[in-house]
Amino acid sequence: MKFTLNWLKQYIDSGLTPAALADRLTMAGLEVDAVEPLCHDIDDIVVARVVSVAPHPNADKLTVCQVTAGDGDSRQVVCGAPNVRAGLVTAIALPGVTMPGGFKIKPAKLRGEKSDGMLCSAKELGIGDAHAGIIELPDDLPIGSPLVEVLALKDTMVEVDLTPNRADCASVLGIGREVGGFVGKRLTPPVAGPLPVLVGGDLPFAVEVQAAEDCPRYAARLICGVKIGPSPWWLKRLLLAVGLRPINNVVDVTNLVMLEYGQPLHAFDFAKLAGGRIVVRKARAGEKIVTLDDVERELDPETLVICDADKPAAVAGVMGGRDSQVDDATVDILLESAYFEPVGIRRAARRLNMNSDSSYRFERGVDPQGIPFALERAVRLILETAGGAVVEGGFDLCGALPQPRELTLRVQRANDLIGMTFTAEAICALLNGIEIPAVNRDGDTVVVTVPTFRVDLEREIDLIEEVARLHGYNEIPSTLPTVPMRFPEADTARGLRKRLITQLTGMGCFEAINYSFVTPRHFDLLGLAGDDPARKVVPLLNPLSEEQSVMRSHLLPGLLENLRRNINHQQSDVRLFEIGKVFHHQDLHTQPVEVTELAVVMSGRRHPGAPRLYHGDALVDIYDAKGLVDSVLADMRLAGAVCAELDPAAPPYAVAEAAVRLVADGKTVGRFGQLEPKMLKRFGIKQDAYFVALDLDAMAGMVAAPKVFAPLPKFPAVQWDIALIVDERVGGGEMLAAIADGFDPLIRHAEIFDIYRGKNIDAGRKSVAIAVTYRAEDRTLDDETVGAVHQRIIDMMQNRFGARLRDA
Amino acid sequence: MEEELLRLKAEAVAALAASGKDELEPFRVKYLGRKGLFTSVMRQLGQASAEDRPRLGKLANDIRQELELTFAARLEELGGGNVGGSGPRLDLTLPGRTEPCGRPHPVTQVMEEVCGIFEGLGFTVAEGPDVETDFYNFEALNIPPHHPARDMHDTFYVSDSLLLRTHTSPMQIRAMTEQQPPLRMIAPGKVYRCDSDITHTPMFHQVEGFLVDRKVSFADLKGVLSVFIAKMFHSDTAIRFRPSFFPFTEPSAEVDIGCVICGGKGCRVCKQTGWLEILGAGMIDPAVFAKVGYDSEQYSGFAFGLGIERIAMLKYGITDIRLYYENDLRFLSQF
Repeated sequence: MKFTLNWLKQYIDSGLTPAALADRLTMAGLEVDAVEPLCHDIDDIVVARVVSVAPHPNADKLTVCQVTAGDGDSRQVVCGAPNVRAGLVTAIALPGVTMPGGFKIKPAKLRGEKSDGMLCSAKELGIGDAHAGIIELPDDLPIGSPLVEVLALKDTMVEVDLTPNRADCASVLGIGREVGGFVGKRLTPPVAGPLPVLVGGDLPFAVEVQAAEDCPRYAARLICGVKIGPSPWWLKRLLLAVGLRPINNVVDVTNLVMLEYGQPLHAFDFAKLAGGRIVVRKARAGEKIVTLDDVERELDPETLVICDADKPAAVAGVMGGRDSQVDDATVDILLESAYFEPVGIRRAARRLNMNSDSSYRFERGVDPQGIPFALERAVRLILETAGGAVVEGGFDLCGALPQPRELTLRVQRANDLIGMTFTAEAICALLNGIEIPAVNRDGDTVVVTVPTFRVDLEREIDLIEEVARLHGYNEIPSTLPTVPMRFPEADTARGLRKRLITQLTGMGCFEAINYSFVTPRHFDLLGLAGDDPARKVVPLLNPLSEEQSVMRSHLLPGLLENLRRNINHQQSDVRLFEIGKVFHHQDLHTQPVEVTELAVVMSGRRHPGAPRLYHGDALVDIYDAKGLVDSVLADMRLAGAVCAELDPAAPPYAVAEAAVRLVADGKTVGRFGQLEPKMLKRFGIKQDAYFVALDLDAMAGMVAAPKVFAPLPKFPAVQWDIALIVDERVGGGEMLAAIADGFDPLIRHAEIFDIYRGKNIDAGRKSVAIAVTYRAEDRTLDDETVGAVHQRIIDMMQNRFGARLRDA
Repeated sequence: MEEELLRLKAEAVAALAASGKDELEPFRVKYLGRKGLFTSVMRQLGQASAEDRPRLGKLANDIRQELELTFAARLEELGGGNVGGSGPRLDLTLPGRTEPCGRPHPVTQVMEEVCGIFEGLGFTVAEGPDVETDFYNFEALNIPPHHPARDMHDTFYVSDSLLLRTHTSPMQIRAMTEQQPPLRMIAPGKVYRCDSDITHTPMFHQVEGFLVDRKVSFADLKGVLSVFIAKMFHSDTAIRFRPSFFPFTEPSAEVDIGCVICGGKGCRVCKQTGWLEILGAGMIDPAVFAKVGYDSEQYSGFAFGLGIERIAMLKYGITDIRLYYENDLRFLSQF
């Protein structure tokens, strides 16, 4: 909602500076978005008269004018405007003046003719859009006087960002009422006193409301013999100031009154209303209307329309029809001021996808009592600006209108909720300040008669808010609630997530957050089969773009996009992880299953950001991914519950020989491996990359190994090494497991410390060097005992893995 | 020879005591080096008689060891180090051997900070679904269909009845329908609005919080949020409450803090007002209590919601909200 300070001043003089007024409005809940002077940098522009005009000797489109600007002799100015003519009063920028935008006027020669100043268009002055010619001013303006003064341009535009509940403030009078509240004054509305009685009867026109529920009040009057033309400057100026385009005197008046009263009005060209009738009804199926914006719209039977005897002439409360609009030839106008049911207007505006200043106000609720006032104001202004005569009488058909509500406000209740100690008197004074009648009944209760312009005040709580608001939120004390002490239950999933973040960042990974919606193309890039369950996604009905049109069912594609982006920006050593939800479609009316997953991508150097001096340029490989998984599982104390195995059905985005799945209780709870290079290329990535994916919800539900203390050993351990030559196909991990998992109680630990292939080892075989740690709980071990176990290990290795002792 | 050894020892001890840091190395070379004086004296050992040889050998060795110890002590005293001629010189200007860590996303960092403050005040943290029902996101929060307030939420729809939550306020309803007061809870999470420009991303993060008990007042709301802002920003951060409108609270407020960029003088970030809008809040509307079956005559409460990205922008001076979701390491590594 925009207005100007001078406009507001017509109804109430706040006595405040623009800045102070803006601050008070904001603190009253009418947030001021902008306070701007109406025009910039035109203080030095003055009024001038064109005395004579001669053609330019060297240019067809230019004229050489003699102009008087009130500063002595007339001066010569070259002008290119088509409307320049002798006698015209216009605006001039004299030499030395800087135009809005910074252009400085200097005496000049244009095509050889001297030009001593510049005649200006409205657009050049920043006070209108017209730029086809120089501005045409009334003849009677004093020549030489500053334009700003004579056109009353010294004004300030204020824009208020209205909350949806304050329909009453979508009007300058509504804002004025609020201002009255905080400066302790009452506003003077433009129309007061008794209004003409409109009771229908024998008139040259008829109004029939067939849909009274949707249109509980419809008032109309006929004005005959108007002369349509441009509005007077003061009216144009107000509309321009708030961003409306002046059209003609009648339409401009209806717009002005809408802004003034918050009551949208509509003017029909009476000659174009078939049968001289207005019928308010629902549209018939198949009916069409061409609206003022020249768009033909098909109407449906839910939409309320204003018709003449034959056809729709306007979409009620939303937009007028082109065929009944006021134009230059209009002589008689029928003026409408009505109340339309808000929800109906809102639905119609949505269905037709039309939002207008009119529908904005109707759908929030106009003041049903304000209708005749706005109508009277418009009638007077039209007579003033367009002439003509109003036909005595008119229609004002009232149905079941919202009535003033009577509410009771309990003083104690208000004080409890706000945290104050207001008296009933103080509450009444606050409400009365903004013209809400409130009476102290018995000291404990206040009886409030809610005026019809405050459609938002329906309950006691609404009044309590008004009391708090009018008193000022900042004047309310701050206290801390007294609540029982209670221990907040920790959310295990969140706890797990926090721990993972700590751990993964400790391992050099950065956390990424990607949009939850993705492009369905991701599944093709991943290479998923047509029937892959991940393709059953949750689609959005109204996505911003195809790129963000379905809810993700995978975290990996987002991270791959991030990987590509980083590589493209010369960051090729990347470790990113994301912990987030994926969405599994059920059906369109059941919420999808939301699963929290962890995904990691690793690519580039093994030690990103670490000094190369020490770490070199080694690249990550699958063991980095595996190590990350091992660390995570160890930290979660789930190492024993989850087993890793070569994935028998590797996903298409992983290299089959380097794809591992993590299984717990027979269920896959995660995967890691090398990403398929062809798939990476489809994502625009040309370097190797590895991934980890874990289902955190499944893991949060698993039982972690308890922390149980084991006494520290009393006797020393000894470490013996073995080097065994085995076939390439034998897994080192299997060899370790065969030793460490209960082979002998004296074995505490076994670790591979070297794997060797090459000289002295047959092709297809490898030497695996294992360090075995032995320890007894009750004695120091002697070589004989250890040697015996060690030999049994060698024998077992020969039998199970075909191993041969390397030195033997 | 014995005399020679003892003389050399006395001479060396005196020389060592008198030598400065720079003379240590020449000393070492002169007396203890491979071609030094002691070595040459010891070479003469072969010429000694067989019976004297063990005694003289031991003496020479003892003196040499003693001198080496004294030299080491002197070296330490003078703060020298590894001055051996052949070993590498310690270069402490080289970088340390680091294993750099990653960082949590700035949104996560701020989110945890916010949650931490409220957890300290005894609030429970709970999370809800991103794909919500119209009922929880709108209807139960007193936003019926066709209410103009729906314009405030540019909603992504999945179907007639399902949508992407536009705020984390549905958790209020979920919690209140399952539990009885007193309640203190915050709900962090992702929220979605179909809006995308330099100041809006279609997904962002919010923390919703609420407290319900007997006799909870607007003054209490002000108190709790003032504590939060003092902890989150600075203890003397200016703060103001101004009336606003949310369908699920009444009275409703927007909370502004003194601009952290210009200190309240007025700048581009605060649009010359000196204030920055930081959160929305209010007393829970009785209509919401009615939806969950609470008696609003007995209970009252407040709710508030804040946007994490905005707070992170203000805290760290981030100027383009879209950077959050590009996951550029050059961005992520700054926090």
